[in-house]
Amino acid sequence: MMWLGWALAALGFALIFGQYAAGQADIFVSIANPRPLDEESMVVTLKGWGFAAQAAQPFVTPESDHGLCDVRLFATRRQMLVAIATFGFLRPVTVAWRANAGILPLGDA
Amino acid sequence: MPIVKLGEEGRWTNYHGTGTCEAATRFALRSGDAERGRDEIAIAAKSVQDWLAQAAAEKRRVRPLGAGWSPSNVNISSQSWLLHTRRFNRCFRMGADDVRPGIDAGALMLVEAGALVDEVSDKFEEQGRSLWTSGAGNGQTFAGASATGTHGSMIARGGIQDHIRALQIVTPAGIRWIEPDAGVMSDAFIAATGSTALRDDNMFAAAQLPVGSLGIVTALVVDSVPKFLVRPIQNLRKVDRAALDWLAAGDFRRFSAAYALDQDPDFVQMIVNPYKPFKRPAMLRFLYREPWRDDYPRATPGQLGAGYDALSLLGRLLNDYPWARGPLLQFAMKQGYASGPDIDAPPVYGSWGEGLDTHRPLADLFNASVTIDRADLARAFERICAVYARHGGSTVVTIRFMERAQGLLAPARFTHNAVIDFDGPRSQRTADAYARVVECLDAEGITFTRHWAKSCRLDAARVAADYGEDFRRWRAARDRLLPDPAHRALFGSEVLDNLGLTC
Repeated sequence: MMWLGWALAALGFALIFGQYAAGQADIFVSIANPRPLDEESMVVTLKGWGFAAQAAQPFVTPESDHGLCDVRLFATRRQMLVAIATFGFLRPVTVAWRANAGILPLGDA
Repeated sequence: MPIVKLGEEGRWTNYHGTGTCEAATRFALRSGDAERGRDEIAIAAKSVQDWLAQAAAEKRRVRPLGAGWSPSNVNISSQSWLLHTRRFNRCFRMGADDVRPGIDAGALMLVEAGALVDEVSDKFEEQGRSLWTSGAGNGQTFAGASATGTHGSMIARGGIQDHIRALQIVTPAGIRWIEPDAGVMSDAFIAATGSTALRDDNMFAAAQLPVGSLGIVTALVVDSVPKFLVRPIQNLRKVDRAALDWLAAGDFRRFSAAYALDQDPDFVQMIVNPYKPFKRPAMLRFLYREPWRDDYPRATPGQLGAGYDALSLLGRLLNDYPWARGPLLQFAMKQGYASGPDIDAPPVYGSWGEGLDTHRPLADLFNASVTIDRADLARAFERICAVYARHGGSTVVTIRFMERAQGLLAPARFTHNAVIDFDGPRSQRTADAYARVVECLDAEGITFTRHWAKSCRLDAARVAADYGEDFRRWRAARDRLLPDPAHRALFGSEVLDNLGLTC
């Protein structure tokens, strides 16, 4: 039965390591024909397995009157370790975005 | 006033994450809604001049920022005022009365300094026109890409700055409209932009490639050619050593016939694995130009092979497992670049602009290059790969081709140029390996230059040696445009001072 214990332990480790690695993946959504400004980011912490969410700062960006150009969602190594260590109770993720400079019509010189 | 302050003093990081401005105060230059482009840039230029006066009064250096694309950190200046130009991005068509007699106004466009290469390309294509070359990516501002001599691999063309016919530069001392001796724009047009005309070949050649050191470029007049189609062929092939001799001799037709189509290519690029470059397949890319037709089947940028500029993944693996670098790089070449279309695939076509992409860096980037005389390619290339691999360089090596580019400080200064790029994940080992390549070329007596926008470790003595008389002429033009040393220092930074451009 010893081998079964080791096998289950290895399986558990592989499951956790897989979550740790996959959680750092970069999910990237962009509009077509992007005209990006500088990137800004904030950390959102999901609490209680997603029942509540708290951002470190409000979602503001100074030049977003032409909307957003693209958004990235990812977790850093430290954020994934926090999530694993708290059994997922805390799940911090980084949201990064770039505002759109806008596409202005061709004018006359 | 079209300049607005963006928050309080803080940190700003450039596009590729290679440099950070500490304690920088950020401002943004924005387009207005003036009916005519000349009125718009007159208002903007006056605002920029007032802003420069305020910065000087506050004893802060200034740095214009387009897309912040350059990994060489020419865009980095701490404790300074940064002027973001990305929202200053309108483009305007020219009228026949706006230009001097004999100039084709239909080929020209007035472009605000914050317009991306992609935006300029799109606006030209709306008018049935096209850029004739550009870099691999199109996310730089046109002004920024030109300021650093960005290039692609159109074998009969130079750099992107070759498109510039005139430009407006703002310094604390004035607003100048710089053109060649022969002139481009009418006197009335220049006066309406609020500028003083400065028609001088030497000054124009300096301003075509200013490396951000001559003032703040607010507007450009950009030239074009009639819109055309390109057919891409992209494949993985083992390249014979002898093929380097064909490329060195400019026999691109023979190279194309051997590895793609038996016709003259307009664009040739070879990406090789420096670990056994002739035993492992290289990624080859060819473009064949065809006349424009409206009914071509549309393809996505990926289908056209866009995004061929850099591998930005696998950095840690390459750094940590030196024994596996060769196979890992080969794997990355297969995964990281768009595959096909090869010669036996259904042909796809696109305009020049459709074949470019705004890549998004997801990992730390290293990129550097050397530009050599194309005739030296065969004797230099194997040495470069051997030295780079022996010292642990962990990027692919790319060869591109171009003709001599305009601008006194254009790195492509040979009649025919081969540009060898080292683009990929950043690591200290890779940077050190590139430094060994530079030492090797010096030891072999092979003349070369380096790209202003890449991480090439230049200094003032080397710049002066590389560019010789052209550098002296560039400095003379700079001193004429900025005679007051305090004004030159206003545009300085640690990086630019070290290059000898601002002091």
